[in-house]
Amino acid sequence: MKKIFLLTLFLSVTAFSQVAKPIEMPYVDYPMVKGDHDEVAQQYCLICHSWGYILNQGKKSRPYWSGTVAKMVNEFKAPIGKEDQQIIINYLVKHYGYESTAQH
Amino acid sequence: MDKINRRHFLGAGLILGASTLLGKETAQKIITDSKDFVPPVIAFPEKKPLKVISDRPPLLESPRDIFTQAITPNDQFFVRWHMPDIPTYIDLNEFRLQVQGSVETPLSLSVDDLKSKFEPVEITSVLQCGGNSRKYFAGTGPATHGVQWGHGAMGCAVWKGVRLKDILNRAGVKGSAKWVGVNGLEKPAMDETPKFFREMNIDEALSGELIVAYAMNGEDLPYLNGFPLRLVIPGHFSDSWVKMLSEITVMDEYRKSFFMDVAYTVPDNDCECIISGSDFEYKRKPIAVMKVKSVIGYPTPNTVIKKGSRVKVTGVAFDQGKGIKEVMISTDGGKSWSATELQKDYGKYAYRPWVYQWEPKAKGEYTIMVRAINRIGNIQPQVNEIGWNAGGYQYNAVDSVNVKIV
Repeated sequence: MKKIFLLTLFLSVTAFSQVAKPIEMPYVDYPMVKGDHDEVAQQYCLICHSWGYILNQGKKSRPYWSGTVAKMVNEFKAPIGKEDQQIIINYLVKHYGYESTAQH
Repeated sequence: MDKINRRHFLGAGLILGASTLLGKETAQKIITDSKDFVPPVIAFPEKKPLKVISDRPPLLESPRDIFTQAITPNDQFFVRWHMPDIPTYIDLNEFRLQVQGSVETPLSLSVDDLKSKFEPVEITSVLQCGGNSRKYFAGTGPATHGVQWGHGAMGCAVWKGVRLKDILNRAGVKGSAKWVGVNGLEKPAMDETPKFFREMNIDEALSGELIVAYAMNGEDLPYLNGFPLRLVIPGHFSDSWVKMLSEITVMDEYRKSFFMDVAYTVPDNDCECIISGSDFEYKRKPIAVMKVKSVIGYPTPNTVIKKGSRVKVTGVAFDQGKGIKEVMISTDGGKSWSATELQKDYGKYAYRPWVYQWEPKAKGEYTIMVRAINRIGNIQPQVNEIGWNAGGYQYNAVDSVNVKIV
């Protein structure tokens, strides 16, 4: 009986204790459409976030993607030159969006 | 490239290497539309397999069937970080919570200090992302900005810790103080990117209900839920429940920031929605208290049930802390409604579980819907009544699940 009690105590202590070594974060390879300078989108977008962020938004309009890229540059200070911004917007609109003046 | 933190840059190289050398988790098909995007389901540290909307920063969504439980298990609790650089190890001998700014005595507190030198308090409270259920806005209007969460960006846990008020009083807030800023250890990839920094009015910070939690459901906080400390603001959306809380800064002046003034805001009008025109034309305000909501945990969508079965329909309901008065259910797509039986009350900020015994008598497709009302008469809107906002925040329309009786 005493043994069982000790065992239970031991198990509960280990279950409640902190992580003793660094956690290892899994990596997910969300695939991107190739071509139209996908390497530029890769180079900049993936500095801060995975491609899951783009996939999860669904197809979006040109003003939406322009606004999003502008937000990354102006608010989050992504170091993307004007020309590369345009390349990324065109890539996103072509493969992850549609030509429209709608905002969303 | 020189602007990118060296540590992060090295990390990125390692990640690319790992993807080619090790067993990578790949969603093989090239996806271009969120309708086709089925996030991979992977176990992260201390977590059961969850939907991985993003691995970096980690965004993990809980499955719908967790709403059959009043308390969400830690290993299925959703995860949402803002910044890509999250410490993967914290040494509690070195970790300190700094209390600074307009205080008489700045403090530097270890987790042990918090556990041994302050009165412990416990509260059961829902933690819900402001963008939870956001994808359902697209059912009746345009898809909103932001991560298209289902209902799984919320959970309910028993939080244990120390009152923020007690910490601030220990430091001695100066008379000139008007705001309290909070931030944690998550870091952006580049130094220029604004930190995730949240602010609240000094009166709110001193209200006595906010706690700095060091335990969740009787255990240390899981790493991905903010180990070792997290701010808990019962009744409020989670945008200021800062994880890996490391700094509390008392301030005389409000500090303008992207995360307060632009993100997590809705139009500042009665419906907190866009009435006409562009969302950029509206004065904005931060989202704050949660809205009355109920969701179905069982059955889950497209469940096939045998005719004549006795089905125990279950789920949870909650609000901003006024208390749930009633949860109504319809099994005929909203034509007629019945009362569910409310279950154990875990406190005014917790999930209120509900149950409904249902015996479907005929074969066919059924739509089950639930609608909660709280003690001050707030009721969930129908899906076609909910006001739309561009950020996709505060979705709380009537939940529905389609099932098939065979």
